[in-house]
Amino acid sequence: MATEPATETTLQGPAAWGEQAEKERVHGLGPWRLGLRRLRRNKVALLFGFLFILLVLVCAAAPLWADNIAKTGPTDGHLSDTITVNGEQKNVVGLDGVPIGPQYWKADGKFFLGADGNGRDIMVRLLYGGRNSLFIGVTAALMTAILSLLLGVVAGFFRGATDAVIRTVLDIMWSFPVIILGTALGVALALGGLKIGPLEIPGDSLAIPIFIIGLVYVPYMARPIRGQVLSLREKEFVEAARAQGAGPFRIMFSEVLPNLASTMIVFFTLLIANAVLLEAALSFLGAGVRPPNPSWGTMIDDGVERVATAPHLAVVPGVMLVLTVLSLNVFGDGVRDALDPRAKVRVEL
Amino acid sequence: MGKLGRRALALLLACLSLFVIAACGDDDDGGGGSSGGGDGEAKKGGSITISQTSQPDYMDPALTYTVNGIEPLWLVYTPLITYAREEGPEGSKLIPGLAEDLPEISEDGLTYTLTLRKGLKYSDGSPVKAADFEHTIKRVLNLESGGSAFYLVIDGAQEYLDAGKPEGDISGIETNDETGEITITLTEPDGSFSHVLAMWFAALVPSDTPFKNMTENPPPGVGPYMVTESVPNRQFVLDRNPEYDKNPIDGIPSGNIDKITTKIIKSAQRQAQDVISGNLDYMQDPPPADIKPEVKAKYSDRYVEQTTASTYYFFMNTRVAPFDDPKVREAVNYGIDKPGLARIFAGELAPGCSFLPPGVPGFDEALDVDECPWGNPNEPPDLEKARALIKEAGVDGMDVTVYGNNDDPTDKVTEAYADMLTKMGFNAEPKILDGGVYFQTIGNQKTKAQTGFANWFQDFPHPKNFMFLVDGKSIQPTNNQNFGNVDDPEVTKGIAELNQEPDLTKAEDQWVELNKKLVERAWIVPYGHRKLSTFFSERMDFDNCRRFHPVYFNDYSSWCLK
Repeated sequence: MATEPATETTLQGPAAWGEQAEKERVHGLGPWRLGLRRLRRNKVALLFGFLFILLVLVCAAAPLWADNIAKTGPTDGHLSDTITVNGEQKNVVGLDGVPIGPQYWKADGKFFLGADGNGRDIMVRLLYGGRNSLFIGVTAALMTAILSLLLGVVAGFFRGATDAVIRTVLDIMWSFPVIILGTALGVALALGGLKIGPLEIPGDSLAIPIFIIGLVYVPYMARPIRGQVLSLREKEFVEAARAQGAGPFRIMFSEVLPNLASTMIVFFTLLIANAVLLEAALSFLGAGVRPPNPSWGTMIDDGVERVATAPHLAVVPGVMLVLTVLSLNVFGDGVRDALDPRAKVRVEL
Repeated sequence: MGKLGRRALALLLACLSLFVIAACGDDDDGGGGSSGGGDGEAKKGGSITISQTSQPDYMDPALTYTVNGIEPLWLVYTPLITYAREEGPEGSKLIPGLAEDLPEISEDGLTYTLTLRKGLKYSDGSPVKAADFEHTIKRVLNLESGGSAFYLVIDGAQEYLDAGKPEGDISGIETNDETGEITITLTEPDGSFSHVLAMWFAALVPSDTPFKNMTENPPPGVGPYMVTESVPNRQFVLDRNPEYDKNPIDGIPSGNIDKITTKIIKSAQRQAQDVISGNLDYMQDPPPADIKPEVKAKYSDRYVEQTTASTYYFFMNTRVAPFDDPKVREAVNYGIDKPGLARIFAGELAPGCSFLPPGVPGFDEALDVDECPWGNPNEPPDLEKARALIKEAGVDGMDVTVYGNNDDPTDKVTEAYADMLTKMGFNAEPKILDGGVYFQTIGNQKTKAQTGFANWFQDFPHPKNFMFLVDGKSIQPTNNQNFGNVDDPEVTKGIAELNQEPDLTKAEDQWVELNKKLVERAWIVPYGHRKLSTFFSERMDFDNCRRFHPVYFNDYSSWCLK
């Protein structure tokens, strides 16, 4: 259990970089170059960052694999089909319902990791599922970041009644465990979809898990940002801007926001990892991505039913999930250390 | 790695371990009971815990219409007449239930007279009265039960329904509480009406039972068991009915087990593992394909499969595009991969074309397989023909929503069906609903469900019981069982005419023809007939205490512990 606060209220971001640069005796280097220099020295973080990029590229190449090697789509079933393996005809799904196992290159890449119970190519679904999981993770993290920034800055800067209202709403959301709030919203929205004015999202759309995940993480990011803004608004450079006649919105955009940049970058990286993980958990519980769309969570869920005879169905998407989240977390830690060595920013769950 | 990384990794591992946890059994103890050898004598007493994958649609005899509800409730509620507690064809024989004898039918086939047995009491100790029968039928009609169409043949039933007054009168039902005589007058002869009287809908409940869904507080009944607890989506409990044991009915044996707790457990995998380990004593659904080979090999001394009179089919809503076009319905019949669907059922589905299943009068084996108008169901589909017909109808590329529920393997079947429709030229997407609300949802006209999964298990051994699902007269705004709104005047007329013949053997050939007409006109897509399994824990007496009833399936009252 962590005993430290989510953030320190000491000065962070560019406002602190000059002081840090003095300590590291790298006069003349700008704050971003200084951060990059520190990141380049962190080989482990770079290695995991590279691993994440590799995973993204592999998943992005899903259509290439599907069209040129597997020659099937992620939702195409082959229940009654056969394939030729080493000159021998094999059922994709046996008469007893047991699907074919991994064939690797024995069938020219078809059913490389085997088939699921509906005769769908696991490798193709894994890659497309990765695209969905990463897309949801990144988009949801973006949504969280934007909402959190908006709420955190407004609450921290204006204080008073505005702060009280926003803080109360965030506290209420905070009081629900993420997985329970996400599952409840997922189940409720899955049937009827989401209608906000003219905007209508069907229940089986990927936008539903994005909306849910993007929403439930807002308190975890907005509250630390609010704390940082409360500290920043009392600094001398803000006082100076105010003395020069700058209005509140100008101060927010030109003085406060730039000083939140490094925190946002660190948070954003870590949020993607958490969003990918939550998507998997929600999909596993049937409240995330709707079938037949693949995601790593739905694939683990499907695989659980056949874990005795075909363990790879659950293990392979599980391993991909581990690698993605691990790489993002290690890289995110590296970015944090590089940009803000004194910060203790983390997504507290 | 920082703390954040380690924490996320820990969370991740916890998430991944879910599938391991899901495979583990719970600690719930079936309780009671001791072991002992089975020497042909049924041991009395003990308690067991069994499972269902989804909550019964209703725990109310007036409303339930799924195997999940009927299998337990037929032991709690008994109609005036019922079926012999026997396996095979003997189990289709009608015997007196709460009535002293089978109904006396007038020569014109319009009047049925029965007399209530004397001294009957409900499980709460209150006396059973003849007037309760009318109240029971009123509840079925008033609650718009899926079975209400069966009782509209009673004189005055339609008028009662139209009046919208729950306490109103059904003129065709006369009862006398003093003599126990019940007289039912029909508007037209109905050859299946004795079977309709034997359905659980007509099982008597007290006259003060409210006109509302009583799932959370099921009313008392007359039967070997009573419902003592009903928590939707969690569990329900059947206890031996002491009132019934005091005054049992001939031919309806009291139960052996004292207490039967049914838990709702989503994962079939977990249920099977729990039956193997002894945490559960029976699972209503078959073990999942994944562990069935192991079950068959290692536990064959407590596992058996039985063929049921059932049909699995896809409905196509004839009131909604694109299935309002006969060409499209023909295309779907040509394009369905029936052997492929059978694989999803792991060999527990015999591919077939006939709507009437084996075991039901009117079933035609040739139509089912060799002479199927849409191709042999054991061979690959004719996708080219399906695509050509869909193009001809001008609906290729059209969006189609395929309805299904999340029971295993229905979700997989629904996904496969959507994929097959996509291969035929549609843009089909599955919509998977919770099993507990699925049939109500697709049976509501407001849903406008285009197409989807449906199945039917015999309620009573008469072709009308299946043909009711495609009878234009049975279409309702809610709780509709004719999901595709099939309204073929010739089929509807044929059902009405053949149903007037009380001697089924005389009309069997005509039922065969009607079934053929239904299949050839592609109103629905039948794709096979199901086998069901009985899988017991080690402590159950598999050899001596087990009865698979042709109408009601596993008879819990026959079970006993070793």
